[in-house]
Amino acid sequence: MKFIENIGKALTSIFSNIGKFILFILFFFKYLFGPKFYFKNNIRYFLNVFVSSIPIIALTGIFSGMVLALQSYTGFSRFSAESAIPNVVVLTLTRELGPVLTGLMISARVGSSIAAEIATMRVTEQIDALKTLNTNYYNYLVTPRVLSLTLALPIFVTLVDFIGVMGGYIVSVHRLGFNDNLYLLNTIDFLKIGDYLSGIFKAFVFGFIISIVSCYCGLFSDKGAFGVGSATTNAVVISSILILSSNYFLTELFF
Amino acid sequence: MKIEIKNLKKRFNDNFVLKDISLTIEKNKSTIILGQSGCGKSVLIKTIYQLFSFDDGLIFYDGKAKVDIDKFSMLFQYGALFDSLKISENIAFTDFINNKTNFNKKVISLMNDVGLDKSIFNKYPSEISGGMKKRVAFARALYKNPKVIFLDEPTTGLDPINSDKINELILKVITKRKITAVTITHDIKSAIKTGDHYYFIDKGIIQDKGDCKKILKTKNKAFKSFISGADFKQ
Repeated sequence: MKFIENIGKALTSIFSNIGKFILFILFFFKYLFGPKFYFKNNIRYFLNVFVSSIPIIALTGIFSGMVLALQSYTGFSRFSAESAIPNVVVLTLTRELGPVLTGLMISARVGSSIAAEIATMRVTEQIDALKTLNTNYYNYLVTPRVLSLTLALPIFVTLVDFIGVMGGYIVSVHRLGFNDNLYLLNTIDFLKIGDYLSGIFKAFVFGFIISIVSCYCGLFSDKGAFGVGSATTNAVVISSILILSSNYFLTELFF
Repeated sequence: MKIEIKNLKKRFNDNFVLKDISLTIEKNKSTIILGQSGCGKSVLIKTIYQLFSFDDGLIFYDGKAKVDIDKFSMLFQYGALFDSLKISENIAFTDFINNKTNFNKKVISLMNDVGLDKSIFNKYPSEISGGMKKRVAFARALYKNPKVIFLDEPTTGLDPINSDKINELILKVITKRKITAVTITHDIKSAIKTGDHYYFIDKGIIQDKGDCKKILKTKNKAFKSFISGADFKQ
């Protein structure tokens, strides 16, 4: 009997959290541009996220492109299809690796920091203080974070795509002996705008997922140091799982 | 502002934190809420402030059921200052986030009122001491000229000298500005010094009430035990 009771409790908790999360998203849209929109605060947060994330974005792009070129060569050289490497690198990066790896890296870099910051604010009563100062925390905390990440991720993905292709170029030309002009020509000729746009659409969705999940985990964290730790872990784990699973459905959409 | 609370009940899941609270906060007086840690004091003032909803009972603000919470202010137990903002931006928070820039004069005047030096104007909360943080939080609470101020354990974490200074400051400011004050504390000395009326909460109900100057003469066993620090079993 106790076993069934525990299962019931667990299921109730799961559905109650899903319900709370859906309500949270609805409230986000309700308060997106009102009652107040703190323009300066939004711009400041966007710049902060943008500048602090550039180094890891650059590293993600360059190493992904370089590894992709090397691994593609290993496979393609077995049936003399080395000339397809520029095509594979650019297609894989723009359609798949760019948005997914950027999403996962930003979830670890920014999502965790959003969750930890908001959870700490909750533990130290700063969220209550906002309410007493007649400030809507959706407007002040959630909107800047969600808008910034949703808008920044497509820019990050564009950078990862570009730097990744350059990484593939460096390895292919200087390590594998490709002709430099031919490599670039193949890349540009093969890439269609739809490939790039499908990746950008994914980036918008991933940016929204990371930011909304992280804000939710922070705002509804348990109290104390343990609560802050769990909020951070949950934010990264849940957004990573949602990125990977939604990626499949988005890929089906653009297939 | 006079606040009347009648038969207030508040629970979290199945746990009734406030079982039946009835009390009156008199206009321009200092009311002290006493009680052990975890007895529901903070929940009570947050409910009066409308930060929490309640399950049953009535709250009247000057005879009305609704109130503009802009007339209220709160000093939180640990200050609750915003770490990413400077001291001046914390104090003038509402103006700062609305892009108003002419708050410097008012902030300096408030800093002066609460005994803070101008040199910390551009510092961050992490760069100042605990006592200073309380004063900054107090200045922030006074910034919007509240009619009622709620003080959640204003002397917690401070040494006896600083506690005394904060008590004197609270007394001076609320008297000068004619503010209704509601203070949560478990420090009897602070209650006697800064309060007019007291209410003692235990197990979610009011166990004792009276004049703060006569706290030590109470006949209530639970409150007497609380004052002496002994464990009281009902």
